[in-house]
Amino acid sequence: MFSGGRHAINSRVSDSAIILDSLEKSFPPASTGWRAFLQPFSNPTSPALRGISLQIRQGEAVALLGANGAGKTTLLRILATLLLPTRGRASLAGHDVLTEPAAVRRHLGYHAGSDLGFYARLSGRQNLSFFGRLHHLADDFIAARIRLLAERLGLQNALDRQTRTLSSGTIQRLSLLRALLHQPKVLLLDEPTRSLDAIAAAEFRRFLKSDVLARQGTSLLFASHTMQEIEFLADRVAVLEEGRLLAFDTPTALRAAAQSPSLEEAFSKITGRRLHPAGEEAP
Amino acid sequence: MMQFLRDLLLFFRRDLRIASTYRSPFILEAVEALFGATTFYYVARFVDSPSLRAALPQGKTYFAYSLVGFVFFDYLNAALDTFDRSLQEARDSGTLEPLLVTQVSLPVVLAGSAFYPFAATTLRIAVYVGWAAALFDFPLNAANWLAVAAVLAATLLAFSGMGILSAAYLLLFKRGNPAKWFILGVSSIVGGMLFPVEILPPWLQVIAHLNPVTYALEAMRGALLDGAGISTISHSLLLLLAFGSFLLPVSMLVFSWVLRRTKITGTLTHS
Repeated sequence: MFSGGRHAINSRVSDSAIILDSLEKSFPPASTGWRAFLQPFSNPTSPALRGISLQIRQGEAVALLGANGAGKTTLLRILATLLLPTRGRASLAGHDVLTEPAAVRRHLGYHAGSDLGFYARLSGRQNLSFFGRLHHLADDFIAARIRLLAERLGLQNALDRQTRTLSSGTIQRLSLLRALLHQPKVLLLDEPTRSLDAIAAAEFRRFLKSDVLARQGTSLLFASHTMQEIEFLADRVAVLEEGRLLAFDTPTALRAAAQSPSLEEAFSKITGRRLHPAGEEAP
Repeated sequence: MMQFLRDLLLFFRRDLRIASTYRSPFILEAVEALFGATTFYYVARFVDSPSLRAALPQGKTYFAYSLVGFVFFDYLNAALDTFDRSLQEARDSGTLEPLLVTQVSLPVVLAGSAFYPFAATTLRIAVYVGWAAALFDFPLNAANWLAVAAVLAATLLAFSGMGILSAAYLLLFKRGNPAKWFILGVSSIVGGMLFPVEILPPWLQVIAHLNPVTYALEAMRGALLDGAGISTISHSLLLLLAFGSFLLPVSMLVFSWVLRRTKITGTLTHS
Protein backbone atom coordinates (compact mmCIF):
# COMPACT_ATOMS: atom_id res chain seq x y z
CA MET A 1 0.00 0.00 0.00
CA PHE A 2 2.73 2.45 0.92
CA SER A 3 6.17 2.88 -0.56
CA GLY A 4 9.35 2.61 1.52
CA GLY A 5 10.25 -0.19 3.93
CA ARG A 6 13.17 -2.55 3.57
CA HIS A 7 14.87 -2.63 0.24
CA ALA A 8 18.48 -2.52 -0.81
CA ILE A 9 19.86 0.83 -1.84
CA ASN A 10 23.12 1.40 -3.63
CA SER A 11 25.46 2.92 -1.08
CA ARG A 12 26.74 5.87 -3.14
CA VAL A 13 24.19 7.70 -5.14
CA SER A 14 25.52 11.03 -6.31
CA ASP A 15 22.40 13.11 -5.68
CA SER A 16 21.65 11.64 -2.25
CA ALA A 17 22.12 13.76 0.84
CA ILE A 18 21.31 10.90 3.20
CA ILE A 19 21.25 7.15 2.61
CA LEU A 20 20.04 4.66 5.18
CA ASP A 21 20.48 1.02 4.35
CA SER A 22 18.80 -1.55 6.63
CA LEU A 23 19.70 0.62 9.61
CA GLU A 24 19.16 -0.98 13.01
CA LYS A 25 19.74 0.35 16.48
CA SER A 26 19.22 -1.38 19.80
CA PHE A 27 19.91 -0.20 23.33
CA PRO A 28 20.70 -2.22 26.46
CA PRO A 29 17.53 -2.86 28.46
CA ALA A 30 16.91 -0.41 31.31
CA SER A 31 18.12 -1.74 34.67
CA THR A 32 17.49 -0.74 38.24
CA GLY A 33 19.19 -1.48 41.58
CA TRP A 34 22.64 -3.03 41.52
CA ARG A 35 22.10 -4.24 37.95
CA ALA A 36 22.24 -0.61 36.80
CA PHE A 37 25.97 -0.76 37.56
CA LEU A 38 26.34 -3.44 34.87
CA GLN A 39 24.13 -1.69 32.32
CA PRO A 40 27.02 -0.03 30.44
CA PHE A 41 28.31 -3.53 29.66
CA SER A 42 24.97 -5.11 28.77
CA ASN A 43 24.18 -6.27 25.27
CA PRO A 44 21.90 -3.97 23.29
CA THR A 45 18.72 -6.01 23.02
CA SER A 46 15.94 -3.37 23.05
CA PRO A 47 15.34 -2.37 19.44
CA ALA A 48 14.77 1.32 18.62
CA LEU A 49 15.23 1.14 14.83
CA ARG A 50 14.42 -2.02 12.88
CA GLY A 51 15.96 -2.04 9.42
CA ILE A 52 15.25 1.44 8.08
CA SER A 53 16.14 2.02 4.43
CA LEU A 54 15.56 5.30 2.67
CA GLN A 55 17.24 7.88 0.53
CA ILE A 56 16.95 11.65 0.80
CA ARG A 57 17.89 13.73 -2.23
CA GLN A 58 20.00 16.88 -2.16
CA GLY A 59 17.85 19.91 -1.44
CA GLU A 60 14.94 17.77 -0.28
CA ALA A 61 13.05 18.33 2.98
CA VAL A 62 11.92 15.17 4.74
CA ALA A 63 9.85 14.99 7.90
CA LEU A 64 10.06 12.16 10.40
CA LEU A 65 6.59 11.54 11.74
CA GLY A 66 5.86 9.12 14.53
CA ALA A 67 4.64 8.78 18.08
CA ASN A 68 6.99 9.11 21.03
CA GLY A 69 9.44 6.20 20.98
CA ALA A 70 9.03 5.63 17.24
CA GLY A 71 12.78 6.14 16.69
CA LYS A 72 12.89 9.68 15.25
CA THR A 73 15.46 11.10 17.67
CA THR A 74 17.54 7.92 17.55
CA LEU A 75 17.72 8.20 13.77
CA LEU A 76 18.76 11.86 13.92
CA ARG A 77 21.38 11.15 16.57
CA ILE A 78 22.92 8.35 14.52
CA LEU A 79 23.22 10.73 11.57
CA ALA A 80 24.74 13.36 13.89
CA THR A 81 27.39 10.76 14.93
CA LEU A 82 26.21 10.89 18.56
CA LEU A 83 25.13 7.24 18.45
CA LEU A 84 26.57 4.20 16.71
CA PRO A 85 24.23 2.01 14.69
CA THR A 86 23.92 -1.63 15.72
CA ARG A 87 23.61 -2.93 12.14
CA GLY A 88 23.17 -1.54 8.67
CA ARG A 89 24.66 1.61 7.18
CA ALA A 90 24.01 5.31 7.22
CA SER A 91 25.75 7.96 5.20
CA LEU A 92 25.41 11.71 5.00
CA ALA A 93 26.74 13.83 2.12
CA GLY A 94 28.46 10.69 0.82
CA HIS A 95 30.30 9.93 4.07
CA ASP A 96 29.68 6.92 6.27
CA VAL A 97 28.71 7.86 9.84
CA LEU A 98 30.68 4.96 11.27
CA THR A 99 33.95 5.24 9.37
CA GLU A 100 34.07 8.97 8.51
CA PRO A 101 32.41 10.76 11.42
CA ALA A 102 34.53 13.94 11.13
CA ALA A 103 33.62 14.32 7.44
CA VAL A 104 29.96 13.75 8.29
CA ARG A 105 30.09 16.46 10.97
CA ARG A 106 31.66 18.89 8.50
CA HIS A 107 28.53 18.66 6.35
CA LEU A 108 25.79 18.56 8.94
CA GLY A 109 24.05 21.14 11.05
CA TYR A 110 22.29 19.73 14.10
CA HIS A 111 19.72 21.37 16.31
CA ALA A 112 18.20 19.18 18.99
CA GLY A 113 15.32 21.52 19.76
CA SER A 114 16.60 22.17 23.27
CA ASP A 115 16.79 25.64 24.77
CA LEU A 116 20.09 24.67 26.48
CA GLY A 117 23.47 24.30 24.87
CA PHE A 118 25.06 27.74 25.23
CA TYR A 119 27.47 29.18 27.78
CA ALA A 120 25.14 31.28 29.89
CA ARG A 121 27.74 33.92 30.86
CA LEU A 122 28.88 34.52 27.28
CA SER A 123 27.02 36.64 24.77
CA GLY A 124 25.27 35.16 21.78
CA ARG A 125 28.05 36.40 19.50
CA GLN A 126 30.82 34.99 21.75
CA ASN A 127 29.05 31.63 21.86
CA LEU A 128 28.57 31.52 18.10
CA SER A 129 32.17 32.58 17.41
CA PHE A 130 33.43 29.85 19.73
CA PHE A 131 31.41 27.13 18.02
CA GLY A 132 32.29 28.53 14.58
CA ARG A 133 35.98 28.26 15.40
CA LEU A 134 35.46 24.67 16.55
CA HIS A 135 34.32 24.07 12.96
CA HIS A 136 37.69 25.55 11.93
CA LEU A 137 36.10 28.49 10.16
CA ALA A 138 38.03 31.74 9.63
CA ASP A 139 37.16 34.65 11.93
CA ASP A 140 36.08 36.93 9.05
CA PHE A 141 33.81 34.24 7.66
CA ILE A 142 32.26 33.61 11.08
CA ALA A 143 31.61 37.32 11.63
CA ALA A 144 29.99 37.68 8.19
CA ARG A 145 27.81 34.58 8.66
CA ILE A 146 26.67 35.71 12.10
CA ARG A 147 25.74 39.13 10.72
CA LEU A 148 23.84 37.66 7.78
CA LEU A 149 21.98 34.93 9.64
CA ALA A 150 21.19 37.12 12.65
CA GLU A 151 19.54 39.61 10.33
CA ARG A 152 17.45 36.91 8.66
CA LEU A 153 16.48 35.31 11.96
CA GLY A 154 15.82 38.65 13.68
CA LEU A 155 18.55 38.09 16.24
CA GLN A 156 20.55 41.32 15.94
CA ASN A 157 19.52 42.54 19.38
CA ALA A 158 20.31 39.22 21.05
CA LEU A 159 23.87 38.88 19.81
CA ASP A 160 25.56 41.04 22.40
CA ARG A 161 23.55 39.93 25.41
CA GLN A 162 24.57 37.10 27.72
CA THR A 163 22.57 34.06 26.67
CA ARG A 164 21.27 33.60 30.24
CA THR A 165 19.16 36.72 29.67
CA LEU A 166 17.53 35.43 26.47
CA SER A 167 14.12 33.77 26.15
CA SER A 168 13.70 30.11 25.16
CA GLY A 169 12.51 31.13 21.72
CA THR A 170 15.52 33.34 21.12
CA ILE A 171 17.86 30.58 22.28
CA GLN A 172 16.16 28.23 19.82
CA ARG A 173 16.77 30.64 16.96
CA LEU A 174 20.34 31.15 18.13
CA SER A 175 20.74 27.40 18.11
CA LEU A 176 19.48 27.24 14.52
CA LEU A 177 21.93 30.01 13.60
CA ARG A 178 24.73 27.91 15.13
CA ALA A 179 23.63 24.87 13.13
CA LEU A 180 23.77 26.92 9.91
CA LEU A 181 27.00 28.79 10.65
CA HIS A 182 29.29 26.50 8.64
CA GLN A 183 26.89 26.26 5.66
CA PRO A 184 26.07 22.58 6.13
CA LYS A 185 24.78 20.52 3.23
CA VAL A 186 22.33 18.72 5.50
CA LEU A 187 20.35 20.12 8.38
CA LEU A 188 19.04 17.79 11.08
CA LEU A 189 16.37 19.27 13.34
CA ASP A 190 14.63 17.55 16.24
CA GLU A 191 11.31 19.24 16.95
CA PRO A 192 12.73 22.64 16.06
CA THR A 193 9.71 24.74 17.04
CA ARG A 194 9.00 22.99 20.33
CA SER A 195 9.70 26.06 22.50
CA LEU A 196 8.45 28.73 20.11
CA ASP A 197 5.18 30.63 20.27
CA ALA A 198 2.87 30.41 17.26
CA ILE A 199 4.17 33.53 15.51
CA ALA A 200 7.83 32.76 16.14
CA ALA A 201 7.25 29.19 14.93
CA ALA A 202 5.64 30.45 11.71
CA GLU A 203 8.55 32.85 11.08
CA PHE A 204 11.01 30.08 11.81
CA ARG A 205 9.33 27.81 9.23
CA ARG A 206 9.23 30.58 6.64
CA PHE A 207 12.95 31.19 7.15
CA LEU A 208 13.68 27.49 6.71
CA LYS A 209 11.57 27.25 3.57
CA SER A 210 12.55 30.45 1.81
CA ASP A 211 16.15 30.75 2.88
CA VAL A 212 17.66 27.46 3.92
CA LEU A 213 15.78 25.18 1.53
CA ALA A 214 15.00 27.37 -1.47
CA ARG A 215 17.96 29.74 -1.55
CA GLN A 216 20.79 27.57 -0.24
CA GLY A 217 19.58 24.15 -1.39
CA THR A 218 20.28 22.60 1.99
CA SER A 219 18.74 19.18 2.60
CA LEU A 220 16.55 18.98 5.66
CA LEU A 221 15.59 16.04 7.83
CA PHE A 222 13.43 17.02 10.75
CA ALA A 223 11.31 15.34 13.39
CA SER A 224 8.05 16.97 14.25
CA HIS A 225 4.67 16.34 15.84
CA THR A 226 3.15 19.43 14.21
CA MET A 227 1.22 18.46 11.09
CA GLN A 228 1.02 22.07 9.93
CA GLU A 229 4.82 22.28 10.04
CA ILE A 230 5.20 19.02 8.15
CA GLU A 231 2.70 20.07 5.48
CA PHE A 232 4.47 23.41 5.06
CA LEU A 233 8.07 22.19 4.96
CA ALA A 234 8.25 18.57 3.91
CA ASP A 235 8.60 17.31 0.35
CA ARG A 236 8.24 13.80 1.70
CA VAL A 237 7.24 12.27 5.02
CA ALA A 238 8.74 9.17 6.65
CA VAL A 239 6.20 7.57 8.97
CA LEU A 240 7.89 5.61 11.76
CA GLU A 241 6.25 3.26 14.20
CA GLU A 242 8.22 1.36 16.85
CA GLY A 243 11.40 1.64 14.85
CA ARG A 244 9.90 0.56 11.54
CA LEU A 245 9.45 2.68 8.43
CA LEU A 246 5.79 2.23 7.54
CA ALA A 247 5.55 4.76 4.73
CA PHE A 248 7.74 7.21 2.87
CA ASP A 249 6.08 9.51 0.35
CA THR A 250 4.82 13.02 -0.32
CA PRO A 251 2.09 14.31 2.01
CA THR A 252 -0.32 14.33 -0.92
CA ALA A 253 0.49 10.74 -1.86
CA LEU A 254 0.17 9.60 1.76
CA ARG A 255 -3.25 11.23 2.06
CA ALA A 256 -4.36 9.74 -1.24
CA ALA A 257 -3.12 6.26 -0.43
CA ALA A 258 -4.81 6.33 2.95
CA GLN A 259 -7.93 7.96 1.43
CA SER A 260 -7.77 10.57 4.15
CA PRO A 261 -8.51 14.28 3.93
CA SER A 262 -5.75 15.21 6.36
CA LEU A 263 -2.25 14.08 7.15
CA GLU A 264 -3.30 13.40 10.74
CA GLU A 265 -5.89 10.92 9.61
CA ALA A 266 -3.51 9.36 7.13
CA PHE A 267 -0.98 8.95 9.97
CA SER A 268 -3.67 7.36 12.09
CA LYS A 269 -4.59 4.87 9.35
CA ILE A 270 -0.97 4.03 8.52
CA THR A 271 0.04 3.41 12.11
CA GLY A 272 -3.28 2.05 13.35
CA ARG A 273 -3.33 4.63 16.14
CA ARG A 274 -6.66 6.17 17.05
CA LEU A 275 -7.03 9.95 17.13
CA HIS A 276 -9.20 12.13 19.31
CA PRO A 277 -11.86 14.01 17.39
CA ALA A 278 -9.76 17.19 17.72
CA GLY A 279 -6.92 15.43 15.97
CA GLU A 280 -4.87 14.69 19.09
CA GLU A 281 -3.49 11.22 19.38
CA ALA A 282 -5.33 9.01 21.86
CA PRO A 283 -3.48 8.33 25.11
CA MET B 1 49.55 19.85 15.46
CA MET B 2 49.03 23.61 15.02
CA GLN B 3 45.29 23.04 14.68
CA PHE B 4 45.33 20.98 17.87
CA LEU B 5 47.08 23.80 19.75
CA ARG B 6 44.67 26.36 18.30
CA ASP B 7 41.76 24.23 19.49
CA LEU B 8 43.25 24.03 22.99
CA LEU B 9 43.70 27.81 23.04
CA LEU B 10 40.06 28.30 22.04
CA PHE B 11 38.90 26.50 25.17
CA PHE B 12 41.31 28.49 27.32
CA ARG B 13 39.95 31.76 25.91
CA ARG B 14 36.38 30.57 26.42
CA ASP B 15 37.04 29.78 30.09
CA LEU B 16 38.94 33.01 30.63
CA ARG B 17 36.01 34.97 29.18
CA ILE B 18 33.53 33.14 31.39
CA ALA B 19 35.74 33.65 34.47
CA SER B 20 36.11 37.35 33.72
CA THR B 21 32.33 37.78 34.04
CA TYR B 22 32.70 36.82 37.70
CA ARG B 23 35.05 39.50 39.01
CA SER B 24 34.80 39.13 42.78
CA PRO B 25 36.10 35.53 43.07
CA PHE B 26 39.60 36.70 42.03
CA ILE B 27 39.70 39.12 44.96
CA LEU B 28 38.06 36.67 47.36
CA GLU B 29 40.52 33.92 46.47
CA ALA B 30 43.46 36.24 47.08
CA VAL B 31 42.05 37.09 50.52
CA GLU B 32 41.31 33.43 51.18
CA ALA B 33 44.92 32.57 50.34
CA LEU B 34 46.05 35.14 52.92
CA PHE B 35 43.87 33.50 55.58
CA GLY B 36 45.15 30.06 54.55
CA ALA B 37 48.82 31.07 54.69
CA THR B 38 48.29 32.79 58.05
CA THR B 39 46.59 29.71 59.50
CA PHE B 40 49.41 27.48 58.29
CA TYR B 41 52.00 29.79 59.80
CA TYR B 42 50.44 29.83 63.26
CA VAL B 43 49.65 26.11 63.31
CA ALA B 44 53.27 25.46 62.31
CA ARG B 45 54.53 27.73 65.12
CA PHE B 46 52.23 26.01 67.58
CA VAL B 47 53.41 22.50 66.77
CA ASP B 48 57.06 23.43 66.21
CA SER B 49 59.42 21.57 68.57
CA PRO B 50 62.99 20.23 68.53
CA SER B 51 61.72 16.69 67.88
CA LEU B 52 59.59 17.84 64.94
CA ARG B 53 62.55 19.72 63.45
CA ALA B 54 64.67 16.61 63.86
CA ALA B 55 62.14 14.62 61.82
CA LEU B 56 62.15 17.14 58.97
CA PRO B 57 64.83 17.34 56.28
CA GLN B 58 67.84 19.42 57.33
CA GLY B 59 67.22 23.14 57.80
CA LYS B 60 63.49 23.18 57.01
CA THR B 61 60.74 24.72 59.13
CA TYR B 62 57.45 22.92 59.49
CA PHE B 63 55.69 25.95 57.99
CA ALA B 64 57.68 25.73 54.73
CA TYR B 65 57.44 21.95 54.67
CA SER B 66 53.67 21.75 55.14
CA LEU B 67 52.88 24.70 52.87
CA VAL B 68 54.68 23.05 49.97
CA GLY B 69 52.73 19.85 50.68
CA PHE B 70 49.47 21.75 50.74
CA VAL B 71 49.97 23.73 47.51
CA PHE B 72 51.26 20.64 45.75
CA PHE B 73 48.07 18.79 46.66
CA ASP B 74 46.09 21.68 45.23
CA TYR B 75 47.86 21.05 41.93
CA LEU B 76 47.36 17.33 42.14
CA ASN B 77 43.69 17.90 42.82
CA ALA B 78 43.46 20.01 39.64
CA ALA B 79 45.10 17.27 37.57
CA LEU B 80 42.71 14.64 38.93
CA ASP B 81 39.57 16.71 38.91
CA THR B 82 39.61 18.93 35.87
CA PHE B 83 38.73 16.45 33.08
CA ASP B 84 35.97 15.04 35.18
CA ARG B 85 34.54 18.44 36.06
CA SER B 86 34.68 19.85 32.54
CA LEU B 87 32.79 16.82 31.25
CA GLN B 88 30.16 17.15 33.94
CA GLU B 89 29.75 20.89 33.34
CA ALA B 90 29.35 20.37 29.59
CA ARG B 91 26.73 17.69 30.21
CA ASP B 92 24.81 19.77 32.75
CA SER B 93 24.85 22.94 30.65
CA GLY B 94 23.74 21.06 27.53
CA THR B 95 26.84 22.16 25.60
CA LEU B 96 28.27 18.66 25.28
CA GLU B 97 26.06 17.71 22.34
CA PRO B 98 26.76 20.89 20.32
CA LEU B 99 30.48 20.42 21.03
CA LEU B 100 30.38 16.84 19.79
CA VAL B 101 28.96 17.77 16.39
CA THR B 102 31.83 20.17 15.65
CA GLN B 103 35.18 19.24 14.14
CA VAL B 104 36.88 18.66 17.52
CA SER B 105 36.83 15.31 19.26
CA LEU B 106 35.85 14.75 22.88
CA PRO B 107 39.47 14.17 24.03
CA VAL B 108 40.38 17.59 22.57
CA VAL B 109 37.37 19.14 24.32
CA LEU B 110 38.53 17.69 27.63
CA ALA B 111 42.20 18.58 27.12
CA GLY B 112 41.23 22.12 26.12
CA SER B 113 38.92 22.48 29.09
CA ALA B 114 41.78 21.51 31.41
CA PHE B 115 43.97 24.46 30.39
CA TYR B 116 42.23 27.18 32.33
CA PRO B 117 41.82 25.24 35.61
CA PHE B 118 45.56 24.46 35.57
CA ALA B 119 46.39 28.11 34.93
CA ALA B 120 43.96 29.25 37.65
CA THR B 121 45.46 26.75 40.12
CA THR B 122 48.96 27.98 39.29
CA LEU B 123 47.86 31.55 39.92
CA ARG B 124 46.19 30.60 43.19
CA ILE B 125 49.33 28.79 44.35
CA ALA B 126 51.47 31.77 43.35
CA VAL B 127 49.28 34.05 45.47
CA TYR B 128 49.44 31.61 48.40
CA VAL B 129 53.21 31.33 48.26
CA GLY B 130 53.48 35.08 47.64
CA TRP B 131 51.62 35.86 50.88
CA ALA B 132 53.74 33.29 52.74
CA ALA B 133 56.96 34.83 51.42
CA ALA B 134 55.90 38.43 52.01
CA LEU B 135 54.56 38.01 55.53
CA PHE B 136 56.03 34.84 57.04
CA ASP B 137 59.55 34.43 55.62
CA PHE B 138 58.73 31.52 53.37
CA PRO B 139 62.19 30.89 51.83
CA LEU B 140 61.60 31.68 48.17
CA ASN B 141 65.06 33.08 47.52
CA ALA B 142 66.58 29.60 47.39
CA ALA B 143 64.11 28.22 44.81
CA ASN B 144 65.27 26.84 41.47
CA TRP B 145 62.33 27.90 39.30
CA LEU B 146 63.32 25.86 36.29
CA ALA B 147 63.34 22.72 38.42
CA VAL B 148 60.02 23.75 40.02
CA ALA B 149 58.46 24.10 36.55
CA ALA B 150 59.90 20.71 35.54
CA VAL B 151 58.38 19.03 38.61
CA LEU B 152 54.97 20.63 37.96
CA ALA B 153 55.03 19.58 34.29
CA ALA B 154 56.06 16.02 35.18
CA THR B 155 53.36 15.89 37.87
CA LEU B 156 50.68 17.04 35.45
CA LEU B 157 51.81 14.49 32.90
CA ALA B 158 51.96 11.71 35.47
CA PHE B 159 48.57 12.35 37.03
CA SER B 160 46.56 13.55 34.04
CA GLY B 161 46.27 9.89 33.07
CA MET B 162 44.43 9.30 36.35
CA GLY B 163 42.22 12.30 35.55
CA ILE B 164 41.37 10.87 32.15
CA LEU B 165 40.54 7.50 33.72
CA SER B 166 38.28 9.36 36.09
CA ALA B 167 36.50 11.09 33.19
CA ALA B 168 36.06 7.67 31.56
CA TYR B 169 34.51 6.39 34.78
CA LEU B 170 32.16 9.39 34.83
CA LEU B 171 31.10 8.78 31.22
CA LEU B 172 30.30 5.19 32.04
CA PHE B 173 28.76 5.43 35.50
CA LYS B 174 27.64 9.11 35.54
CA ARG B 175 28.79 9.91 39.08
CA GLY B 176 31.95 9.64 41.17
CA ASN B 177 35.66 10.24 40.85
CA PRO B 178 37.46 7.15 42.17
CA ALA B 179 40.91 8.22 40.94
CA LYS B 180 40.72 11.43 42.94
CA TRP B 181 39.42 9.61 45.98
CA PHE B 182 42.15 6.98 45.80
CA ILE B 183 45.14 9.15 44.94
CA LEU B 184 44.32 12.07 47.24
CA GLY B 185 43.06 9.84 50.04
CA VAL B 186 46.02 7.47 50.04
CA SER B 187 48.56 10.17 49.33
CA SER B 188 47.43 12.40 52.16
CA ILE B 189 48.69 9.62 54.45
CA VAL B 190 51.50 8.00 52.50
CA GLY B 191 52.55 10.84 50.19
CA GLY B 192 54.39 13.12 52.60
CA MET B 193 51.90 15.96 52.42
CA LEU B 194 52.02 17.18 56.03
CA PHE B 195 54.60 14.86 57.59
CA PRO B 196 57.67 12.95 56.34
CA VAL B 197 56.99 9.36 55.30
CA GLU B 198 59.96 8.30 57.48
CA ILE B 199 57.78 8.59 60.61
CA LEU B 200 55.30 6.01 59.24
CA PRO B 201 55.40 2.29 60.21
CA PRO B 202 57.68 0.28 57.88
CA TRP B 203 54.82 -1.35 55.93
CA LEU B 204 53.28 2.06 55.19
CA GLN B 205 56.69 3.33 54.14
CA VAL B 206 56.78 0.55 51.53
CA ILE B 207 53.46 1.82 50.12
CA ALA B 208 54.77 5.40 50.26
CA HIS B 209 57.77 4.44 48.15
CA LEU B 210 55.47 2.86 45.55
CA ASN B 211 53.43 6.04 45.41
CA PRO B 212 54.55 8.54 42.72
CA VAL B 213 53.17 11.41 44.81
CA THR B 214 55.98 10.82 47.35
CA TYR B 215 58.60 11.34 44.64
CA ALA B 216 56.83 14.36 43.22
CA LEU B 217 56.69 16.02 46.62
CA GLU B 218 60.32 15.21 47.40
CA ALA B 219 61.35 16.76 44.11
CA MET B 220 59.12 19.81 44.65
CA ARG B 221 60.51 20.47 48.14
CA GLY B 222 64.04 19.99 46.86
CA ALA B 223 63.53 22.46 44.00
CA LEU B 224 61.52 25.03 45.95
CA LEU B 225 63.15 24.99 49.38
CA ASP B 226 66.71 23.78 48.68
CA GLY B 227 67.23 25.18 45.18
CA ALA B 228 67.96 21.68 43.84
CA GLY B 229 68.65 21.61 40.10
CA ILE B 230 67.10 19.28 37.55
CA SER B 231 70.08 16.90 37.72
CA THR B 232 69.70 16.58 41.52
CA ILE B 233 66.01 15.65 41.28
CA SER B 234 66.34 13.68 38.03
CA HIS B 235 65.57 10.37 39.76
CA SER B 236 62.16 11.62 40.91
CA LEU B 237 61.49 13.31 37.56
CA LEU B 238 62.27 10.12 35.64
CA LEU B 239 59.99 8.09 37.88
CA LEU B 240 57.17 10.56 37.31
CA LEU B 241 57.75 10.56 33.55
CA ALA B 242 57.82 6.76 33.49
CA PHE B 243 54.55 6.66 35.43
CA GLY B 244 52.99 9.18 33.02
CA SER B 245 54.27 7.50 29.87
CA PHE B 246 52.64 4.27 30.99
CA LEU B 247 49.41 5.70 32.34
CA LEU B 248 48.62 8.32 29.67
CA PRO B 249 48.38 5.92 26.69
CA VAL B 250 46.53 3.37 28.82
CA SER B 251 44.04 6.02 29.98
CA MET B 252 43.53 7.26 26.40
CA LEU B 253 42.79 3.70 25.26
CA VAL B 254 40.33 3.17 28.10
CA PHE B 255 38.68 6.52 27.37
CA SER B 256 38.31 5.68 23.66
CA TRP B 257 36.70 2.36 24.51
CA VAL B 258 34.31 4.00 26.98
CA LEU B 259 33.40 6.74 24.49
CA ARG B 260 32.53 4.13 21.88
CA ARG B 261 30.60 2.15 24.45
CA THR B 262 28.47 5.16 25.44
CA LYS B 263 27.68 5.77 21.78
CA ILE B 264 26.45 2.19 21.63
CA THR B 265 24.40 2.37 24.82
CA GLY B 266 23.12 5.87 24.04
CA THR B 267 24.30 7.31 27.34
CA LEU B 268 27.00 9.67 26.08
CA THR B 269 25.17 12.84 27.02
CA HIS B 270 23.17 11.44 29.94
CA SER B 271 23.72 12.81 33.45
